[in-house]
Amino acid sequence: MTPTVSASGLSLRYGGIRALDDVSLRLTRGVTGLLGPNGAGKTTLLRVLATAVPPDRGAFTVLGHDPGTPRGRQEVRRVLGYLPQAPGFHPDFTAFEFVDYVAILKELTDRGARHREVRRVLAEVDLGDVRGRRIKKLSGGMRQRVALAAALVGDPGFLVMDEPTVGLDPEQRMRFRELIAQAGEGRTVLLSTHQTEDVAMLCNRVVVLAGGQVRFEGTPAELTARAAGRVWSSTERDPGALAGWRTGTGSFRNVGDPPPGAELLDPTLEDGYLLTLDDAGAEVAAA
Amino acid sequence: MSWHVSEEDLRAYARGELAPPGLWSADAHLTACARCRGVLADVSDPAALDAGWERLDAELDAPRPGLFESLLVRLGVADHIARLLAATPVLRGSWIGAVVALLVMTVVVANVGPSADTPTLFLALAPLLPLAGVALSYGPALDPTHEMAVVSPMHGFRLLMIRTVAVLVAGLGLNGLATLALPGYGLRALAWLLPALALTATGLALTPRLGPVLAPSLVGGAWITLLLAAEAAAGPDTEGPIAPFTATGQGVFAVVAALAVALLYAVRDGFDRAGGNAA
Repeated sequence: MTPTVSASGLSLRYGGIRALDDVSLRLTRGVTGLLGPNGAGKTTLLRVLATAVPPDRGAFTVLGHDPGTPRGRQEVRRVLGYLPQAPGFHPDFTAFEFVDYVAILKELTDRGARHREVRRVLAEVDLGDVRGRRIKKLSGGMRQRVALAAALVGDPGFLVMDEPTVGLDPEQRMRFRELIAQAGEGRTVLLSTHQTEDVAMLCNRVVVLAGGQVRFEGTPAELTARAAGRVWSSTERDPGALAGWRTGTGSFRNVGDPPPGAELLDPTLEDGYLLTLDDAGAEVAAA
Repeated sequence: MSWHVSEEDLRAYARGELAPPGLWSADAHLTACARCRGVLADVSDPAALDAGWERLDAELDAPRPGLFESLLVRLGVADHIARLLAATPVLRGSWIGAVVALLVMTVVVANVGPSADTPTLFLALAPLLPLAGVALSYGPALDPTHEMAVVSPMHGFRLLMIRTVAVLVAGLGLNGLATLALPGYGLRALAWLLPALALTATGLALTPRLGPVLAPSLVGGAWITLLLAAEAAAGPDTEGPIAPFTATGQGVFAVVAALAVALLYAVRDGFDRAGGNAA
Protein backbone atom coordinates (compact mmCIF):
# COMPACT_ATOMS: atom_id res chain seq x y z
CA MET A 1 0.00 0.00 0.00
CA THR A 2 1.32 3.46 -0.86
CA PRO A 3 2.56 5.29 2.24
CA THR A 4 0.73 8.49 3.12
CA VAL A 5 3.26 9.60 5.73
CA SER A 6 6.98 8.87 5.31
CA ALA A 7 9.66 9.81 7.82
CA SER A 8 13.37 9.30 7.44
CA GLY A 9 16.12 9.70 10.05
CA LEU A 10 14.16 11.89 12.48
CA SER A 11 16.30 12.88 15.45
CA LEU A 12 15.64 15.36 18.22
CA ARG A 13 17.41 16.20 21.47
CA TYR A 14 15.81 17.92 24.44
CA GLY A 15 18.65 19.28 26.53
CA GLY A 16 20.97 16.33 26.92
CA ILE A 17 18.30 13.71 26.24
CA ARG A 18 18.00 12.04 22.86
CA ALA A 19 14.22 11.95 22.53
CA LEU A 20 14.24 10.67 18.94
CA ASP A 21 17.15 8.78 17.45
CA ASP A 22 17.13 8.20 13.70
CA VAL A 23 13.44 7.32 13.46
CA SER A 24 12.21 6.19 10.06
CA LEU A 25 8.70 4.92 9.38
CA ARG A 26 6.02 4.71 6.74
CA LEU A 27 2.34 5.03 7.53
CA THR A 28 -0.55 3.96 5.32
CA ARG A 29 -4.31 4.46 5.48
CA GLY A 30 -5.94 2.98 8.55
CA VAL A 31 -5.00 3.11 12.21
CA THR A 32 -1.35 2.64 13.17
CA GLY A 33 -0.66 2.11 16.85
CA LEU A 34 2.44 3.65 18.40
CA LEU A 35 3.39 1.57 21.42
CA GLY A 36 6.12 2.30 23.90
CA PRO A 37 6.84 2.73 27.60
CA ASN A 38 6.87 6.14 29.30
CA GLY A 39 9.78 8.20 28.00
CA ALA A 40 10.07 6.17 24.79
CA GLY A 41 9.66 9.28 22.64
CA LYS A 42 6.07 8.69 21.53
CA THR A 43 4.82 12.19 22.33
CA THR A 44 7.92 13.76 20.82
CA LEU A 45 7.45 11.82 17.59
CA LEU A 46 3.80 12.83 17.43
CA ARG A 47 4.64 16.49 18.05
CA VAL A 48 7.24 16.39 15.30
CA LEU A 49 4.84 14.77 12.81
CA ALA A 50 2.16 17.28 13.83
CA THR A 51 4.65 20.10 13.00
CA ALA A 52 4.57 21.45 16.56
CA VAL A 53 8.35 21.06 16.88
CA PRO A 54 10.95 20.66 14.13
CA PRO A 55 13.38 17.72 14.21
CA ASP A 56 17.08 18.42 14.62
CA ARG A 57 17.76 16.05 11.74
CA GLY A 58 15.73 14.05 9.26
CA ALA A 59 12.73 14.80 7.12
CA PHE A 60 9.17 13.65 6.57
CA THR A 61 6.25 14.16 4.25
CA VAL A 62 2.53 14.05 4.95
CA LEU A 63 0.22 13.30 2.04
CA GLY A 64 2.90 14.56 -0.31
CA HIS A 65 3.60 17.81 1.58
CA ASP A 66 7.03 18.61 2.99
CA PRO A 67 6.81 20.62 6.25
CA GLY A 68 10.43 21.73 5.87
CA THR A 69 9.28 25.01 4.31
CA PRO A 70 6.71 27.48 5.72
CA ARG A 71 4.39 26.86 2.76
CA GLY A 72 4.75 23.09 3.00
CA ARG A 73 4.18 23.26 6.74
CA GLN A 74 0.96 25.13 6.21
CA GLU A 75 -0.17 22.54 3.67
CA VAL A 76 0.56 19.75 6.17
CA ARG A 77 -1.46 21.59 8.79
CA ARG A 78 -4.37 21.87 6.39
CA VAL A 79 -4.60 18.08 6.20
CA LEU A 80 -3.82 17.47 9.87
CA GLY A 81 -6.05 16.67 12.81
CA TYR A 82 -4.25 16.71 16.15
CA LEU A 83 -5.43 15.49 19.51
CA PRO A 84 -2.64 16.25 22.00
CA GLN A 85 -1.98 14.24 25.14
CA ALA A 86 -3.64 16.77 27.43
CA PRO A 87 -5.92 18.82 25.21
CA GLY A 88 -6.60 22.21 26.75
CA PHE A 89 -9.96 23.93 26.64
CA HIS A 90 -11.22 27.39 27.29
CA PRO A 91 -13.42 26.36 30.20
CA ASP A 92 -16.05 29.02 29.66
CA PHE A 93 -16.66 27.92 26.09
CA THR A 94 -19.44 25.52 25.23
CA ALA A 95 -18.57 22.41 23.24
CA PHE A 96 -19.90 24.16 20.14
CA GLU A 97 -17.93 27.35 20.78
CA PHE A 98 -14.70 25.46 21.37
CA VAL A 99 -14.97 23.41 18.20
CA ASP A 100 -16.01 26.59 16.38
CA TYR A 101 -12.86 28.28 17.70
CA VAL A 102 -10.67 25.45 16.38
CA ALA A 103 -12.54 25.60 13.05
CA ILE A 104 -11.56 29.28 12.76
CA LEU A 105 -7.93 28.36 13.41
CA LYS A 106 -8.38 25.86 10.57
CA GLU A 107 -9.28 28.72 8.25
CA LEU A 108 -13.05 28.15 8.14
CA THR A 109 -14.02 31.78 8.31
CA ASP A 110 -17.43 31.66 6.61
CA ARG A 111 -19.87 31.54 9.49
CA GLY A 112 -22.54 29.38 7.88
CA ALA A 113 -20.16 26.78 6.45
CA ARG A 114 -18.22 26.72 9.67
CA HIS A 115 -21.26 26.14 11.84
CA ARG A 116 -22.42 23.33 9.57
CA GLU A 117 -19.00 21.70 9.92
CA VAL A 118 -19.05 22.12 13.71
CA ARG A 119 -22.47 20.46 13.87
CA ARG A 120 -21.25 17.65 11.64
CA VAL A 121 -18.19 16.77 13.73
CA LEU A 122 -20.06 17.08 17.04
CA ALA A 123 -22.68 14.69 15.69
CA GLU A 124 -19.91 12.38 14.49
CA VAL A 125 -18.60 12.02 18.06
CA ASP A 126 -22.15 11.75 19.38
CA LEU A 127 -22.14 15.07 21.21
CA GLY A 128 -24.86 16.79 19.24
CA ASP A 129 -27.16 16.89 22.24
CA VAL A 130 -24.72 18.59 24.59
CA ARG A 131 -23.20 21.06 22.14
CA GLY A 132 -24.53 24.01 24.13
CA ARG A 133 -23.17 22.80 27.45
CA ARG A 134 -20.08 24.44 28.93
CA ILE A 135 -16.97 22.28 28.70
CA LYS A 136 -16.29 22.55 32.42
CA LYS A 137 -19.62 20.79 33.01
CA LEU A 138 -18.78 17.83 30.76
CA SER A 139 -17.34 14.50 31.94
CA GLY A 140 -13.75 13.50 31.09
CA GLY A 141 -14.95 11.19 28.34
CA MET A 142 -17.12 13.88 26.80
CA ARG A 143 -14.27 16.40 26.90
CA GLN A 144 -12.07 13.92 25.11
CA ARG A 145 -14.76 13.56 22.46
CA VAL A 146 -14.94 17.35 22.13
CA ALA A 147 -11.19 17.33 21.50
CA LEU A 148 -11.64 14.58 18.91
CA ALA A 149 -14.41 16.59 17.24
CA ALA A 150 -12.04 19.56 17.07
CA ALA A 151 -9.37 17.34 15.50
CA LEU A 152 -11.87 16.10 12.89
CA VAL A 153 -12.84 19.59 11.71
CA GLY A 154 -12.13 19.94 8.02
CA ASP A 155 -12.04 16.16 7.46
CA PRO A 156 -8.24 15.84 7.84
CA GLY A 157 -6.42 13.12 5.94
CA PHE A 158 -3.87 12.59 8.72
CA LEU A 159 -5.06 12.27 12.30
CA VAL A 160 -2.57 12.25 15.18
CA MET A 161 -3.81 11.15 18.61
CA ASP A 162 -1.67 11.07 21.72
CA GLU A 163 -2.92 8.57 24.30
CA PRO A 164 -6.58 9.54 23.90
CA THR A 165 -7.93 6.70 26.05
CA VAL A 166 -5.88 7.53 29.16
CA GLY A 167 -8.05 8.42 32.13
CA LEU A 168 -11.27 7.07 30.63
CA ASP A 169 -13.34 4.46 32.41
CA PRO A 170 -13.83 1.11 30.60
CA GLU A 171 -17.17 2.10 29.08
CA GLN A 172 -15.88 5.45 27.85
CA ARG A 173 -12.76 3.73 26.54
CA MET A 174 -14.82 1.32 24.47
CA ARG A 175 -16.94 4.18 23.13
CA PHE A 176 -13.81 6.12 22.23
CA ARG A 177 -12.30 3.12 20.50
CA GLU A 178 -15.37 2.89 18.30
CA LEU A 179 -14.90 6.54 17.38
CA ILE A 180 -11.22 6.01 16.58
CA ALA A 181 -12.05 3.02 14.39
CA GLN A 182 -14.67 5.14 12.61
CA ALA A 183 -12.17 7.98 12.18
CA GLY A 184 -9.65 5.56 10.70
CA GLU A 185 -11.88 4.76 7.74
CA GLY A 186 -10.38 6.43 4.70
CA ARG A 187 -7.68 8.36 6.51
CA THR A 188 -4.28 7.82 8.12
CA VAL A 189 -4.43 7.70 11.91
CA LEU A 190 -1.42 7.52 14.20
CA LEU A 191 -2.51 6.51 17.67
CA SER A 192 -0.04 6.70 20.53
CA THR A 193 -0.86 4.42 23.44
CA HIS A 194 0.74 2.25 26.06
CA GLN A 195 -2.26 -0.06 26.15
CA THR A 196 -1.84 -3.10 23.95
CA GLU A 197 -5.61 -3.66 24.00
CA ASP A 198 -6.01 -0.42 22.03
CA VAL A 199 -3.69 -1.74 19.36
CA ALA A 200 -5.19 -5.22 19.32
CA MET A 201 -8.70 -3.85 18.87
CA LEU A 202 -8.06 -0.93 16.53
CA CYS A 203 -4.86 -1.05 14.54
CA ASN A 204 -3.89 -2.63 11.26
CA ARG A 205 -0.25 -1.60 11.80
CA VAL A 206 1.89 -1.12 14.90
CA VAL A 207 5.17 0.65 15.64
CA VAL A 208 7.05 0.00 18.88
CA LEU A 209 9.25 2.84 20.07
CA ALA A 210 11.77 2.55 22.90
CA GLY A 211 14.68 4.81 23.79
CA GLY A 212 13.75 7.09 20.92
CA GLN A 213 14.24 4.33 18.34
CA VAL A 214 11.84 2.22 16.30
CA ARG A 215 12.10 -1.34 17.63
CA PHE A 216 9.34 -2.90 15.57
CA GLU A 217 7.19 -1.94 12.61
CA GLY A 218 4.62 -4.33 11.19
CA THR A 219 1.19 -5.76 11.76
CA PRO A 220 -0.20 -6.66 15.19
CA ALA A 221 -0.14 -10.32 14.08
CA GLU A 222 3.58 -10.04 13.30
CA LEU A 223 4.25 -8.48 16.70
CA THR A 224 2.27 -11.26 18.36
CA ALA A 225 4.19 -13.88 16.35
CA ARG A 226 7.44 -12.65 17.89
CA ALA A 227 6.35 -14.37 21.10
CA ALA A 228 5.49 -17.69 19.47
CA GLY A 229 7.10 -20.48 21.50
CA ARG A 230 8.21 -18.00 24.20
CA VAL A 231 5.15 -18.01 26.47
CA TRP A 232 4.48 -20.85 28.90
CA SER A 233 2.43 -21.75 31.90
CA SER A 234 3.71 -22.93 35.29
CA THR A 235 2.38 -23.45 38.77
CA GLU A 236 5.05 -21.18 40.30
CA ARG A 237 6.68 -18.08 38.88
CA ASP A 238 9.56 -19.25 36.71
CA PRO A 239 12.73 -17.44 37.90
CA GLY A 240 14.19 -17.79 34.41
CA ALA A 241 11.35 -15.86 32.82
CA LEU A 242 11.74 -12.26 31.70
CA ALA A 243 8.28 -11.55 33.11
CA GLY A 244 5.70 -13.68 34.84
CA TRP A 245 2.37 -13.01 36.45
CA ARG A 246 -0.40 -14.99 38.09
CA THR A 247 -3.49 -15.33 35.93
CA GLY A 248 -7.11 -15.70 36.90
CA THR A 249 -6.80 -19.49 36.94
CA GLY A 250 -4.06 -19.32 39.58
CA SER A 251 -1.28 -20.50 37.27
CA PHE A 252 1.61 -18.28 36.19
CA ARG A 253 2.03 -16.96 32.67
CA ASN A 254 5.71 -16.61 31.84
CA VAL A 255 7.38 -14.82 28.97
CA GLY A 256 10.97 -15.40 27.89
CA ASP A 257 12.96 -18.47 26.97
CA PRO A 258 10.97 -21.48 28.20
CA PRO A 259 12.62 -24.42 29.95
CA PRO A 260 12.53 -27.81 28.19
CA GLY A 261 9.14 -29.46 28.40
CA ALA A 262 7.31 -26.26 29.37
CA GLU A 263 3.60 -26.04 28.66
CA LEU A 264 3.56 -23.49 25.86
CA LEU A 265 0.69 -21.02 25.51
CA ASP A 266 -0.67 -19.07 22.57
CA PRO A 267 1.06 -15.69 22.55
CA THR A 268 -0.78 -12.37 22.71
CA LEU A 269 0.14 -8.95 21.39
CA GLU A 270 1.23 -7.95 24.90
CA ASP A 271 3.68 -10.88 25.02
CA GLY A 272 5.20 -9.78 21.71
CA TYR A 273 5.42 -6.20 22.95
CA LEU A 274 7.13 -7.22 26.22
CA LEU A 275 9.69 -9.31 24.36
CA THR A 276 10.35 -6.50 21.90
CA LEU A 277 10.98 -4.10 24.77
CA ASP A 278 13.26 -6.63 26.41
CA ASP A 279 15.23 -7.08 23.19
CA ALA A 280 15.51 -3.29 22.96
CA GLY A 281 16.77 -3.13 26.55
CA ALA A 282 19.35 -5.80 25.82
CA GLU A 283 20.55 -3.86 22.78
CA VAL A 284 20.93 -0.69 24.81
CA ALA A 285 22.78 -2.57 27.55
CA ALA A 286 25.11 -4.18 24.98
CA ALA A 287 25.83 -0.79 23.44
CA MET B 1 -44.81 42.56 15.58
CA SER B 2 -43.51 46.06 16.17
CA TRP B 3 -41.05 45.87 13.30
CA HIS B 4 -40.31 43.86 10.19
CA VAL B 5 -37.17 43.08 8.24
CA SER B 6 -36.85 45.42 5.29
CA GLU B 7 -37.28 43.93 1.83
CA GLU B 8 -33.75 44.99 0.98
CA ASP B 9 -32.40 43.04 3.96
CA LEU B 10 -34.59 40.07 3.08
CA ARG B 11 -33.16 40.04 -0.44
CA ALA B 12 -29.63 40.16 1.03
CA TYR B 13 -30.64 37.40 3.45
CA ALA B 14 -31.90 35.26 0.60
CA ARG B 15 -28.61 35.76 -1.25
CA GLY B 16 -26.69 34.84 1.92
CA GLU B 17 -25.12 38.28 1.98
CA LEU B 18 -26.67 39.72 5.15
CA ALA B 19 -23.89 40.16 7.70
CA PRO B 20 -24.08 39.91 11.51
CA PRO B 21 -25.52 41.41 13.64
CA GLY B 22 -28.30 42.15 11.11
CA LEU B 23 -28.24 38.49 10.14
CA TRP B 24 -28.87 37.42 13.73
CA SER B 25 -31.78 39.83 14.06
CA ALA B 26 -33.29 38.52 10.82
CA ASP B 27 -32.80 34.90 11.94
CA ALA B 28 -34.59 35.49 15.20
CA HIS B 29 -37.35 37.57 13.63
CA LEU B 30 -38.11 35.16 10.77
CA THR B 31 -38.85 32.32 13.16
CA ALA B 32 -41.70 34.32 14.66
CA CYS B 33 -43.00 36.42 11.77
CA ALA B 34 -45.13 34.78 9.06
CA ARG B 35 -45.38 38.02 7.11
CA CYS B 36 -41.60 38.35 6.72
CA ARG B 37 -41.33 34.67 5.84
CA GLY B 38 -43.88 35.30 3.09
CA VAL B 39 -41.92 38.25 1.73
CA LEU B 40 -38.75 36.17 1.91
CA ALA B 41 -40.41 33.43 -0.13
CA ASP B 42 -41.46 36.01 -2.76
CA VAL B 43 -37.96 37.47 -3.16
CA SER B 44 -36.10 34.15 -3.14
CA ASP B 45 -35.67 31.48 -5.71
CA PRO B 46 -36.57 28.03 -4.29
CA ALA B 47 -33.00 26.71 -4.20
CA ALA B 48 -31.73 29.79 -2.41
CA LEU B 49 -34.69 29.60 -0.03
CA ASP B 50 -33.86 26.01 0.89
CA ALA B 51 -30.26 27.02 1.52
CA GLY B 52 -31.51 29.90 3.63
CA TRP B 53 -33.67 27.62 5.76
CA GLU B 54 -30.76 25.27 6.21
CA ARG B 55 -28.61 28.18 7.31
CA LEU B 56 -31.36 29.41 9.62
CA ASP B 57 -31.62 25.97 11.15
CA ALA B 58 -27.87 25.91 11.75
CA GLU B 59 -27.88 29.42 13.19
CA LEU B 60 -30.73 28.74 15.59
CA ASP B 61 -28.87 25.66 16.68
CA ALA B 62 -25.68 27.55 17.43
CA PRO B 63 -25.24 28.96 20.94
CA ARG B 64 -25.61 32.71 21.18
CA PRO B 65 -22.25 34.46 21.49
CA GLY B 66 -21.34 35.87 24.90
CA LEU B 67 -21.53 39.52 25.87
CA PHE B 68 -17.91 40.27 24.97
CA GLU B 69 -18.17 38.62 21.57
CA SER B 70 -21.48 40.30 20.78
CA LEU B 71 -20.02 43.67 21.73
CA LEU B 72 -17.03 43.13 19.42
CA VAL B 73 -19.31 42.19 16.50
CA ARG B 74 -21.47 45.24 17.10
CA LEU B 75 -18.27 47.32 17.00
CA GLY B 76 -17.61 45.96 13.52
CA VAL B 77 -15.18 43.13 14.32
CA ALA B 78 -15.69 40.09 12.05
CA ASP B 79 -17.42 37.28 13.93
CA HIS B 80 -14.54 34.82 13.54
CA ILE B 81 -12.05 37.39 14.85
CA ALA B 82 -14.40 38.07 17.77
CA ARG B 83 -14.39 34.36 18.59
CA LEU B 84 -10.57 34.30 18.50
CA LEU B 85 -10.47 37.29 20.84
CA ALA B 86 -12.99 35.72 23.20
CA ALA B 87 -10.44 32.95 23.68
CA THR B 88 -7.74 35.46 24.67
CA PRO B 89 -7.15 34.93 28.39
CA VAL B 90 -6.11 38.47 29.27
CA LEU B 91 -9.19 39.98 27.67
CA ARG B 92 -11.36 38.32 30.29
CA GLY B 93 -13.06 40.34 32.99
CA SER B 94 -10.74 39.28 35.80
CA TRP B 95 -7.63 40.59 34.04
CA ILE B 96 -9.28 43.82 32.92
CA GLY B 97 -10.60 44.32 36.47
CA ALA B 98 -7.15 43.87 37.97
CA VAL B 99 -5.64 46.38 35.53
CA VAL B 100 -8.37 48.92 36.26
CA ALA B 101 -7.88 48.50 40.03
CA LEU B 102 -4.13 48.97 39.68
CA LEU B 103 -4.52 52.07 37.54
CA VAL B 104 -7.06 53.61 39.92
CA MET B 105 -4.72 53.11 42.86
CA THR B 106 -1.82 54.60 40.93
CA VAL B 107 -3.85 57.61 39.85
CA VAL B 108 -5.01 58.17 43.41
CA VAL B 109 -1.40 58.07 44.63
CA ALA B 110 -0.36 60.49 41.89
CA ASN B 111 -3.14 62.92 42.82
CA VAL B 112 -2.88 62.86 46.58
CA GLY B 113 0.82 62.04 47.00
CA PRO B 114 3.61 64.54 47.58
CA SER B 115 3.70 67.17 44.88
CA ALA B 116 6.05 66.49 42.00
CA ASP B 117 6.52 67.67 38.47
CA THR B 118 5.85 64.24 37.03
CA PRO B 119 3.58 61.39 38.12
CA THR B 120 6.55 59.01 38.03
CA LEU B 121 4.82 56.03 39.61
CA PHE B 122 2.03 56.14 37.03
CA LEU B 123 4.45 56.63 34.15
CA ALA B 124 6.58 53.75 35.39
CA LEU B 125 3.66 51.36 35.77
CA ALA B 126 1.61 52.19 32.68
CA PRO B 127 4.07 50.73 30.10
CA LEU B 128 4.32 47.48 32.04
CA LEU B 129 0.60 46.69 31.81
CA PRO B 130 0.41 46.26 28.01
CA LEU B 131 3.75 44.43 28.08
CA ALA B 132 2.40 41.91 30.55
CA GLY B 133 -0.99 41.72 28.81
CA VAL B 134 0.50 40.95 25.42
CA ALA B 135 3.00 38.48 26.88
CA LEU B 136 0.19 36.57 28.54
CA SER B 137 -2.14 36.61 25.55
CA TYR B 138 -0.18 34.07 23.50
CA GLY B 139 1.86 31.08 24.51
CA PRO B 140 1.55 28.00 26.65
CA ALA B 141 1.51 29.86 29.97
CA LEU B 142 -2.11 31.01 29.88
CA ASP B 143 -3.55 29.69 26.63
CA PRO B 144 -4.68 26.11 27.24
CA THR B 145 -5.16 25.51 23.53
CA HIS B 146 -1.75 26.79 22.52
CA GLU B 147 -0.52 23.47 21.13
CA MET B 148 -3.66 23.06 19.02
CA ALA B 149 -3.31 26.64 17.79
CA VAL B 150 0.33 26.17 16.82
CA VAL B 151 -0.38 23.21 14.52
CA SER B 152 -3.36 24.91 12.87
CA PRO B 153 -3.05 26.40 9.39
CA MET B 154 -3.52 29.92 10.76
CA HIS B 155 0.02 31.22 11.20
CA GLY B 156 0.98 31.73 14.83
CA PHE B 157 2.20 35.24 14.08
CA ARG B 158 -1.19 36.21 12.69
CA LEU B 159 -2.96 34.96 15.79
CA LEU B 160 -0.39 36.75 17.93
CA MET B 161 -0.94 40.01 16.07
CA ILE B 162 -4.73 39.77 16.30
CA ARG B 163 -4.50 39.30 20.04
CA THR B 164 -1.74 41.89 20.44
CA VAL B 165 -3.76 44.58 18.72
CA ALA B 166 -6.78 43.77 20.88
CA VAL B 167 -4.77 43.75 24.10
CA LEU B 168 -3.02 46.98 23.14
CA VAL B 169 -6.32 48.66 22.32
CA ALA B 170 -7.72 47.59 25.69
CA GLY B 171 -4.54 48.29 27.67
CA LEU B 172 -3.66 51.59 26.05
CA GLY B 173 -7.32 52.64 26.26
CA LEU B 174 -7.37 52.04 30.00
CA ASN B 175 -4.07 53.85 30.39
CA GLY B 176 -5.54 56.71 28.38
CA LEU B 177 -8.57 56.91 30.65
CA ALA B 178 -6.28 56.95 33.66
CA THR B 179 -4.32 59.78 32.07
CA LEU B 180 -7.52 61.83 31.89
CA ALA B 181 -7.66 61.57 35.67
CA LEU B 182 -4.35 63.44 35.87
CA PRO B 183 -5.30 66.73 34.20
CA GLY B 184 -2.79 68.72 36.21
CA TYR B 185 0.13 67.18 34.38
CA GLY B 186 -1.04 68.01 30.87
CA LEU B 187 0.74 66.21 28.04
CA ARG B 188 3.47 65.01 30.40
CA ALA B 189 1.03 62.42 31.67
CA LEU B 190 1.14 60.81 28.20
CA ALA B 191 4.85 60.06 28.46
CA TRP B 192 4.03 56.38 29.07
CA LEU B 193 2.80 55.77 25.53
CA LEU B 194 6.07 55.45 23.59
CA PRO B 195 7.77 53.41 26.33
CA ALA B 196 4.72 51.14 26.37
CA LEU B 197 4.98 50.51 22.64
CA ALA B 198 8.76 50.05 22.82
CA LEU B 199 8.59 47.62 25.73
CA THR B 200 5.77 45.59 24.20
CA ALA B 201 7.42 45.33 20.78
CA THR B 202 10.82 44.49 22.31
CA GLY B 203 9.31 41.83 24.56
CA LEU B 204 7.60 40.19 21.60
CA ALA B 205 10.66 40.42 19.36
CA LEU B 206 12.79 38.62 21.96
CA THR B 207 10.18 35.96 22.69
CA PRO B 208 11.10 33.46 19.93
CA ARG B 209 14.66 33.33 21.27
CA LEU B 210 14.14 33.73 25.03
CA GLY B 211 10.66 32.31 25.54
CA PRO B 212 7.34 33.85 26.56
CA VAL B 213 8.26 34.24 30.24
CA LEU B 214 11.91 35.29 30.21
CA ALA B 215 11.64 37.81 27.36
CA PRO B 216 8.95 40.09 28.88
CA SER B 217 10.43 39.61 32.35
CA LEU B 218 13.84 40.81 31.17
CA VAL B 219 12.31 43.74 29.30
CA GLY B 220 10.22 44.72 32.32
CA GLY B 221 13.24 44.37 34.59
CA ALA B 222 15.33 46.50 32.24
CA TRP B 223 12.63 49.20 32.29
CA ILE B 224 12.55 49.33 36.10
CA THR B 225 16.36 49.32 36.25
CA LEU B 226 16.47 52.18 33.76
CA LEU B 227 14.01 54.22 35.80
CA LEU B 228 15.91 53.64 39.05
CA ALA B 229 19.17 54.59 37.36
CA ALA B 230 17.61 57.72 35.87
CA GLU B 231 16.13 58.66 39.24
CA ALA B 232 19.49 58.19 40.95
CA ALA B 233 21.29 60.17 38.26
CA ALA B 234 18.82 63.02 38.54
CA GLY B 235 19.25 63.33 42.30
CA PRO B 236 16.64 64.33 44.86
CA ASP B 237 16.76 68.05 44.17
CA THR B 238 16.34 67.90 40.41
CA GLU B 239 13.15 69.44 39.12
CA GLY B 240 11.32 68.15 36.08
CA PRO B 241 10.94 64.68 34.67
CA ILE B 242 13.64 62.03 34.74
CA ALA B 243 15.46 61.21 31.50
CA PRO B 244 13.05 58.61 30.02
CA PHE B 245 10.20 61.11 30.17
CA THR B 246 12.04 64.00 28.59
CA ALA B 247 11.72 64.81 24.88
CA THR B 248 15.06 63.13 24.20
CA GLY B 249 14.07 60.05 26.15
CA GLN B 250 10.79 59.83 24.28
CA GLY B 251 12.64 60.06 20.98
CA VAL B 252 14.86 57.16 22.00
CA PHE B 253 11.82 55.06 22.83
CA ALA B 254 10.26 55.88 19.48
CA VAL B 255 13.40 54.60 17.74
CA VAL B 256 13.52 51.50 19.95
CA ALA B 257 9.86 50.78 19.19
CA ALA B 258 10.46 51.06 15.43
CA LEU B 259 13.53 48.82 15.57
CA ALA B 260 11.73 46.26 17.72
CA VAL B 261 8.78 46.13 15.32
CA ALA B 262 11.20 45.51 12.42
CA LEU B 263 12.93 42.76 14.41
CA LEU B 264 9.58 41.24 15.37
CA TYR B 265 8.59 41.01 11.72
CA ALA B 266 11.94 39.39 10.89
CA VAL B 267 11.50 36.67 13.52
CA ARG B 268 7.78 36.07 12.87
CA ASP B 269 8.30 32.42 11.92
CA GLY B 270 9.54 31.81 15.47
CA PHE B 271 5.90 31.98 16.60
CA ASP B 272 5.00 29.09 14.34
CA ARG B 273 6.36 26.33 16.55
CA ALA B 274 5.61 25.07 20.03
CA GLY B 275 8.87 23.63 21.23
CA GLY B 276 10.68 25.26 24.05
CA ASN B 277 10.18 28.85 23.02
CA ALA B 278 7.48 31.23 22.06
CA ALA B 279 5.21 29.00 20.20
